[in-house]
Amino acid sequence: MIPRREFLRLGAVAIGSVAAGCAALDPVPKGRTKVSLWFSYGGTNREVLESLVQRFNASQTRDFVQAVYQGDYFEGLAKLRTAIHARCAPVLSHVVGEVVPYLAEAGVLEPLAGYPGLSELDIIPELGQERTWVSGNARPLCALPFNRSTPIAYLNGELFARAGLEAPRTWAELRTVAKRLSEPGAEPRFGFGCPINWWFWVALVGQAGGSIVAENGRISLGDAAGVRALGLWQELVRAGSMKPPPGRDYNAWEQCNQDFLSGRAAMIWSSTAFLKYLEAQARFKVIAAPLPAGSKRAVPTGGTFWVVLRSAPGAEKAAAARFLRFMHEPEQVITWSTRTGYIPVTRTAVRTLEQRGYYADHPNDRVALAQLAVAEPWPWSVDLFRIQREIVQPRLESAVIEQRDASALLSEARALALEPT
Amino acid sequence: MRASRRGDPYWMLLPTLLLLFVFFIFPLGMLFEHSLFSWDLLTPPRYVGLANYRSLWRSGELWHTFATTLSISSAVVFGSMTAGLALALLLDRPGRWAAFVRSAVFSAYVVSWVSVGLLFLWLLDADSGILAALWRFLSHGRAPRFLADPALAPWAVAAVTIWKITGYALVIFLSGLQDVPQSILEAAELDGASAARRFRSVTWPLLRPTTLFVATTSLIASFQLFDVVRVMTQGGPVRSTTVFVYAIYEQLFLDLRVGRASAEAVVFFGILLVLTAAQLWLFRAEEGV
Repeated sequence: MIPRREFLRLGAVAIGSVAAGCAALDPVPKGRTKVSLWFSYGGTNREVLESLVQRFNASQTRDFVQAVYQGDYFEGLAKLRTAIHARCAPVLSHVVGEVVPYLAEAGVLEPLAGYPGLSELDIIPELGQERTWVSGNARPLCALPFNRSTPIAYLNGELFARAGLEAPRTWAELRTVAKRLSEPGAEPRFGFGCPINWWFWVALVGQAGGSIVAENGRISLGDAAGVRALGLWQELVRAGSMKPPPGRDYNAWEQCNQDFLSGRAAMIWSSTAFLKYLEAQARFKVIAAPLPAGSKRAVPTGGTFWVVLRSAPGAEKAAAARFLRFMHEPEQVITWSTRTGYIPVTRTAVRTLEQRGYYADHPNDRVALAQLAVAEPWPWSVDLFRIQREIVQPRLESAVIEQRDASALLSEARALALEPT
Repeated sequence: MRASRRGDPYWMLLPTLLLLFVFFIFPLGMLFEHSLFSWDLLTPPRYVGLANYRSLWRSGELWHTFATTLSISSAVVFGSMTAGLALALLLDRPGRWAAFVRSAVFSAYVVSWVSVGLLFLWLLDADSGILAALWRFLSHGRAPRFLADPALAPWAVAAVTIWKITGYALVIFLSGLQDVPQSILEAAELDGASAARRFRSVTWPLLRPTTLFVATTSLIASFQLFDVVRVMTQGGPVRSTTVFVYAIYEQLFLDLRVGRASAEAVVFFGILLVLTAAQLWLFRAEEGV
């Protein structure tokens, strides 16, 4: 039996360890303005971000950024919204593009144009507020890009070379290539894998010639193009050429990556964000390729934007703005994009990389950047996030996994999208 | 014992009542109130009356969630009781081996739900899981996609829950079996009753209060199912494992629909109230009160 004194000592050590674990953040040095930053990157991306934060903290003595991991995008967003209500929100965070209009219209985002230097950043228009949303530049600047992406195709170079195939450039080629690379059996291999996720469906809708919101503002969910987009997935799954990975949200993305790395899927669609991870983990040559065209080429942009919360004290918001300026300097942008796979968000960073010959040495990194030529803007819609999560996403799964009628499901979704919230 | 002053019992009850009010009655009142509003925490709440309830009903979500929860719960209650009782009958004997197996089965009960979820996520993986490998070895065919097939996923979640809580049912049934008077069993044996007959006519009737208790606790555990769903399926595929608690979590924390989540919680509260009342009634009927 443990003596009472020893028991109490061990208890105290245990409580102390827990307390130390909870307080593992670097303390803010005296005299510096604290900037609390909530972020949602895991793995390598987290390491890179934390190294950039350290670089900022070491580069000056005025401000100090404390970065705290808050789970994946959706978990982080839930915490952020709850914290805003509880009046304990951080100064700075980053959110997915689809949610920016909702947060902006709710009046919780700080307009950024008034902070020195933030309006003058040489951001690539397709990645900034200006062209990420329809008429984005007509609204007060409230979001700055950092980790921006497009969906791209990842090919197992070995399997493609063995089959003498090239990256599909059209939907027809996608069908053929996926079929040729599929092998049925007890341990089947699928020619194609893609998370049944809104983002990839939006890409397909664009490629089929449609858009989520019509020009007159009607929520169309692509109309006939939306059905054609879903039809392509349904057809590929029925043919046994496509594996819809299990799990929802980012669990499905991770599963899709694992299918690719283990050779269970010869080609996947995923975010450019996973480029460095997949290149590092794969035991075969990874080839990145642009998404194929339907009636035209199109991709949505993805990833997140920096936002400063209006509720924070003025001094902290000014410090956050200084941090954002630092993060948009070429060296930081280059470090971030070359170590993660995200698209560099400023023109200077791209020019510098070109001059250094980076893209000649790393052709995979150029794919997402080049795809910006066909990137389509999102509608500035407050309801976009609700439509995505509550209405469309479950019906995409139903159409593909249960092979239900795509047209009926999308009609149902359109009707629900029109209902008052 | 009699209180020296009439007010004494009330003063003594006050701390408990206060805790009950702060952590139960007051939040419950807030829950009812919020269910009548449309609110996302960021913009001001808007009174919508019973619209949240109507919307849940009309969209079919309420019925779907209820049906899913009930299906999984039924499987869990039936499975855990059957397995618990069978194991108790097998292991109700002295000896080191029986003691070891009893401890081994019960140990699952003390493992955290998240760990269990992660463990089974790996075991049930259709590509690299042990179960899939075994399936392929025995059948030379493709293993079922336990967690990716809407027809299989609810039963996979139920099976994991049964595995987790059977140890508890085993312990309760064991204590129940030890309360069965040996004299009656011996008398039945002397009268020539077979083992099956002794179980049917003596053990089982005397175990009924224990069975009812196990049924109640399993039902509560299955209705509170969340962690395993969160870790293993996130309510999918195609909402086939979206049980009540997960649906409330999703509405509140992911979709930030406070009103609709509250309405769903009110309905869930009502269902649990009815079930508890039914259980109480059964208990009392059993005891002949």
